[in-house]
Amino acid sequence: MTVNELFAKLHEVPADPKAQMDRYLAEGKKIVLCAPVYTPEEIIHAMGFVPMGAWGADTELRRAKEYCPAFLCSIVQSILELGINGMYDGASAIVIPSLCDTLKTLGENWKYAVPSIPFIPMTYPQNRKPAYGVAFTKAGYERVIRDLEKLGGTFSDEKLAASNAVYNRHNAAMRKLEQVLAKHPEVTACQRSDAFKSAFFLTKEEHTALIEELTAALEQQTPGTEKTPILLSGILADAPAFNAILDEMGLHIVADDVAAQSRQYQTDVPESGDALTALAEKFANMDNCSVLYNAAKPRVKWIVDTAKARGAKGVLVALTKFCDPEEFDYVMIKKACESAGIPITVVEIDRQMVQFEQARTNIETFRDMLNM
Amino acid sequence: MYTLGIDIGSTTSKCVMLQDGETLVAKSLQLGGLGTDGPEDALTQLWRCSGLSREEMARVIVTGYGRNKFEGADGEVSELTCHALGGRFVFPDLRTVIDIGGQDAKIISLTPDGRMSNFIMNDKCAAGTGRFLEVMANILRLDIDNLGAIAAQSETPAAISSTCTVFAESEVISQLANGVKRPDLVAGICQSVATRVASLARRAGIVERVCMSGGVARNEAVRHYMAQALDVEISYDPLAQYFGAIGAALYAWKQIKK
Repeated sequence: MTVNELFAKLHEVPADPKAQMDRYLAEGKKIVLCAPVYTPEEIIHAMGFVPMGAWGADTELRRAKEYCPAFLCSIVQSILELGINGMYDGASAIVIPSLCDTLKTLGENWKYAVPSIPFIPMTYPQNRKPAYGVAFTKAGYERVIRDLEKLGGTFSDEKLAASNAVYNRHNAAMRKLEQVLAKHPEVTACQRSDAFKSAFFLTKEEHTALIEELTAALEQQTPGTEKTPILLSGILADAPAFNAILDEMGLHIVADDVAAQSRQYQTDVPESGDALTALAEKFANMDNCSVLYNAAKPRVKWIVDTAKARGAKGVLVALTKFCDPEEFDYVMIKKACESAGIPITVVEIDRQMVQFEQARTNIETFRDMLNM
Repeated sequence: MYTLGIDIGSTTSKCVMLQDGETLVAKSLQLGGLGTDGPEDALTQLWRCSGLSREEMARVIVTGYGRNKFEGADGEVSELTCHALGGRFVFPDLRTVIDIGGQDAKIISLTPDGRMSNFIMNDKCAAGTGRFLEVMANILRLDIDNLGAIAAQSETPAAISSTCTVFAESEVISQLANGVKRPDLVAGICQSVATRVASLARRAGIVERVCMSGGVARNEAVRHYMAQALDVEISYDPLAQYFGAIGAALYAWKQIKK
């Protein structure tokens, strides 16, 4: 397939995730929903289920407000809204990690709001790096395994080792794509978003194949004329209207620190030891994220260093409204960028945005500031 | 060579015509911004007072929240960029612009050579904007243009503590019921807008010379309390409401010179 055909294919899936879910169900596959972030997809995959991302959608929040106060992350609220409205019907379960306070409330609300889809908690430790942290993570995974066994899944260390390899290959494919995209300004922000978002709704084997083909095709393509290179940071940046503004303003994302995009692919499962411990060690080794506790905040330096290395003229933070962990980090990121002479701006986004005019004015001014 | 800048805001539309990017030839302002006849009315007024026509304009740039819906310009640019350019046109040593418009407030920092180095916009909230003053003026049955003069008669500004326009409205009504004098109440309202925007301004960093732009800049009480809150002199020019349109006309001129 050509680059454009591949992007068209990658656009189809996130444009209608429900259709993709129904296709898998019709094929007799069992689906387990994976709420953000760092849900142990490898375990779900190894036990014979299709892990499918549940990051909500841009939708009006009505029923979710019966359970949530207004000032709550709209990603989480929209997951609940879709669940109540039957958009996830047919899924065997939902796994919800405990990595932020709002996600903790999601699990508890889910049990009452969407009783037809069992809730499986994944409780992560705050201190994940010491041996006791790894043991705690492993115990959490064992709880997930027990719950999935009740749904007909079967676990073995060999199957998990195979799944870990599948996921490591996907991680590598996504990292390579991200590097190649940095050299291709002709790829739009909308296309880039599709490439990442589609990973949530396809099996990793299918997605890896498409991404590897796309990367190879892009490497054969002559790069377009450089636009205004930026680093994009945030939890989520998949709203088509938001990405359309980036394209309209001639911004080229040369690196990202977006949780739903590259941030999740930085760390592989180690190949040594038993597969479940190795998976717990992967979580211990992860970093550079607002919801992963680390007093040294290496994420801040990572953003500055990456922006410099990739030649970004500025950092655009797409701040999910009412996301406390990201808001806390933003202060440090802003200070570090300003000290390094890297212009930075913040645009608040949420799942209920209909009007993007304020965001457009902000981004347009930022573009002008970088180019004047 | 003439260039035209059009600034379509939330409550007013402004036009400015410049000659060779240096001389202000004509200007116009009409009530009614985005989604009204205001932009067309402002243009009609401009053609009438200048005796020139659209065909004689070398380039036309539109700015403001209505910029994307306006047809007939050669390009558009954000109002922050324009307020920076327009402010610098009037005050060549300007370093900080505090722009309070009808629906939002913006702080723009400039480098010594006039380049934009930072900016902050307020959240989608009417508190600290011209809309806040408009709502309060309606409650008090006053003309918004007279608020500054009435506030000047105040001896002790009333405290308006609410951070929200809706709650501030009931607070003002309560204060009226308690017999608070009208000038004190108006002064408190102006002080509330100034202190709220001053907090935003401090986040961007204040470097003198500081000026105010936008419609609220015309309110001398807001300027007074802004100076007090920031402990700096606030420069003001009667063209403050036109800074966006001046900047758009300058932007058009710069594009021609490129």
